[in-house]
Amino acid sequence: MEKKNSFHKFMSIPGMASVLTAFVGVVILMIIFTFMNPNFISQRNLVPLSRSICPYLLVGIGQGIVCITGNIDLSIGSVLGMSAMISATLICNGVNPILALVITIIACLAVGVVNGVLVGKFKLPPFIGTLGTMTICRGLAEIVNGNYNTGDIGTSGMATAIRDIFYYGKVGFIYYGVIVSLIIWFVFNYIMNYTRTGRHIYAIGSNVDAARLSGVDVFKTTTVAYLISAFCSCIAGFITMAAAGMGSMQAGLSYEMYGVAAAVIGGISTLGGSGLLVGTIAGASVWAILQNGLTLANVPVAIRNIVIGVIVVACVLLDIMRRNGVKLGKKK
Amino acid sequence: MSEYVVLMEHITKTFPGVKALDDVQLHLKTGEVMALLGENGAGKSTLMKILSGVYTRDSGKMEIFGQDIVGDLNTKQAQDLGVAIIHQELNMCQHLTVANNMFLGRELIKNGRLDTKEMNRQAQEQLAKLGIMDLDPNATVGDLPVGRQQMVEIAKALLINAKVLIMDEPSSSLSNAEITEMFRIVHELKAMGTAIVYISHRLQELHNIVDSVTIMRDGKYITEGKFKDFTMEEIIANMVGREITNQFPRDQVARGKKILEIKNLNAGRMVRDVSFDLYEGEVLGFSGLVGAGRTETMRAIFGADVKESGEIILDGKKLTIRKPDDAIRQGIVLAPEDRKKEGLCTKLSIRDNIALPNLDLICNSTGKINKKIEDEMIEKGKNSLTIKMPGPDSQAGSLSGGNQQKVVVAKWLARESRVVIFDEPTRGIDVAAKVEIYQIINTLKKRGIGVIIVSSEMPEVMGISDRVIVMCNGKVTGEVDPRTVSEEEIMTYATQFGENAS
Repeated sequence: MEKKNSFHKFMSIPGMASVLTAFVGVVILMIIFTFMNPNFISQRNLVPLSRSICPYLLVGIGQGIVCITGNIDLSIGSVLGMSAMISATLICNGVNPILALVITIIACLAVGVVNGVLVGKFKLPPFIGTLGTMTICRGLAEIVNGNYNTGDIGTSGMATAIRDIFYYGKVGFIYYGVIVSLIIWFVFNYIMNYTRTGRHIYAIGSNVDAARLSGVDVFKTTTVAYLISAFCSCIAGFITMAAAGMGSMQAGLSYEMYGVAAAVIGGISTLGGSGLLVGTIAGASVWAILQNGLTLANVPVAIRNIVIGVIVVACVLLDIMRRNGVKLGKKK
Repeated sequence: MSEYVVLMEHITKTFPGVKALDDVQLHLKTGEVMALLGENGAGKSTLMKILSGVYTRDSGKMEIFGQDIVGDLNTKQAQDLGVAIIHQELNMCQHLTVANNMFLGRELIKNGRLDTKEMNRQAQEQLAKLGIMDLDPNATVGDLPVGRQQMVEIAKALLINAKVLIMDEPSSSLSNAEITEMFRIVHELKAMGTAIVYISHRLQELHNIVDSVTIMRDGKYITEGKFKDFTMEEIIANMVGREITNQFPRDQVARGKKILEIKNLNAGRMVRDVSFDLYEGEVLGFSGLVGAGRTETMRAIFGADVKESGEIILDGKKLTIRKPDDAIRQGIVLAPEDRKKEGLCTKLSIRDNIALPNLDLICNSTGKINKKIEDEMIEKGKNSLTIKMPGPDSQAGSLSGGNQQKVVVAKWLARESRVVIFDEPTRGIDVAAKVEIYQIINTLKKRGIGVIIVSSEMPEVMGISDRVIVMCNGKVTGEVDPRTVSEEEIMTYATQFGENAS
């Protein structure tokens, strides 16, 4: 009896139903792909798969939080590229790798501040404001090494450590990169659910006027959201850079949209005010599993893209239909 | 300390191009409820926004609790002084819980994280003080009925120990039961010593709660005094600046032939077996409690909602209406309840709004818009309805409520409509504009158009209709003659839940 009650309470958390749906989706996808190719469920496939979820999860967290404020961040992919290019260029030019990462983080956070000022202070439509920074940052990513990809970051102790921490190293079956991503997720999940800042992020996404009149600093809160987004893209950039062992000017292309997909599949509304960060884990997994599963099932790349697109739209459509159903039922 | 908790004198405020407030004064005493009255655009909301720190004044003296306010006041400072405002449009974060909304901007923190437990406890305590025991502080605000949301706003204001509470049209979207509940709370607050400024267009409800009045017109202070010392006619005359002899002008027109017949209409739970007739030259009123199914009935007839069964017979011909377009082509039109959301495209111009449903008449066979016909149509609408507007190309949303409603009417009058349905035609519209809307309704009636009006304001339905149908719980429960019936009798029908209650 009590168990049923606590389950009921759990389900009544706003947004929890969407999150649960997304996790059920993950399981269903895994079952389907296992049928298509039994190798999918093998340890040899799943362990690296866990690693490939990480960049999607990070951009999903960033984009998800910005979406909860009712905005969007189009600069995510470019910031990711910038992060990979700046850090790799610095390391290749002999800068201490730790210092290189710190400098890169600062540069990426600066982009977050610019986004926050444009959208939060000067009230630019977020789509336009971050479209601008998206283009600028891609340009910076290209210019930083004179319009070439960087060379290999080398095998010095610290460079190897960076490769290990973000991508190659593992303890048991778990990659360090996965641990790093989960720690970041944990921190921001805590902020969103248990701190004043998180509460204000939800509030401005729900009703920005009400929030302002209640004394919420809308500019500051918007900027914090964009800072989180820039930080997550930056770490995702490190992962990409560590995986390749170099900086690629193409790194992070379209990742802002992967972020939207991960957030939305995980039940975060692009209209703001609602959604739980835990959903991004399911959302990012769906995305990575689709890529991986369809490859294993020998589906050609072009078809793969079409299938993924259809599934994403279907996910969101289902969610909207389910929500409208609930709403109508309540009204009556 | 002076006897006033709030004293405002010689307040002026200019917006680009408009002098919103011109030498206005206001005196509010401890523990009194003051009605701040005036037409839309009189400057009431602007004055209150200055008092609560949303706007800053250009000049003038302001004292709150005897403390002279020098320079600008921001919302936070106003709140700290004990001034809270409940805005006209409910300002809640719909996705957040009751407690979260009440503590928004001043969350309690314990050990670095939100102290949800304590906030819930205090929220509950605050609500209990207002006599609200059955509201879960964990409930999501968006799931609550409007009346409940209002209570949360009031409780939120009290949480900051507000000693001056400004309520800007709190009753405009509440049902009668919810209004009664709100009045009870206002009395409670008064007993606690809170001074309240109450803005409302529903003059009939004031006698329940108000001690004094301040009247404004066109950004200027007109008069103030004890509510008892004014007659309703004096109040209206001061608001409008001229005498309105008849608040509800009802022209007599001989009843003609039957225009519309609705037979056994069913649509969802809110429209059950509804049947009625409408005759030429009459205004048919629909009364009932909020949620009685009146709006749903009209939407079903108009084709905005899906019908399950029933017949619609217009001028002896049975119609098939599946979508609003069918209804419009055949002469049944609807001016919906929510003007800004459903009645107008507020961002488009007046011209575009009037032309929108009539593009079939304006365009030639290739779909090109004929500017000449369009201009004629707009000119005609403007003249026959006396719409006050800068020009046909200004934004519809920039007009006052009354003029917006006229634009809605104008778009329907441009075509030969047989039946015009008004859903809450005067909600949020000031007294003088209301009379103009009634006169438009009378004109339609004289032209032989059948008019249906749905209204929650009892005096309005009784004053303007020739026949009133009362609904309750999705069914027609009574038909009365407004000239002879009492409000009590209508209420009896409106609460006749009877055997269909389950």
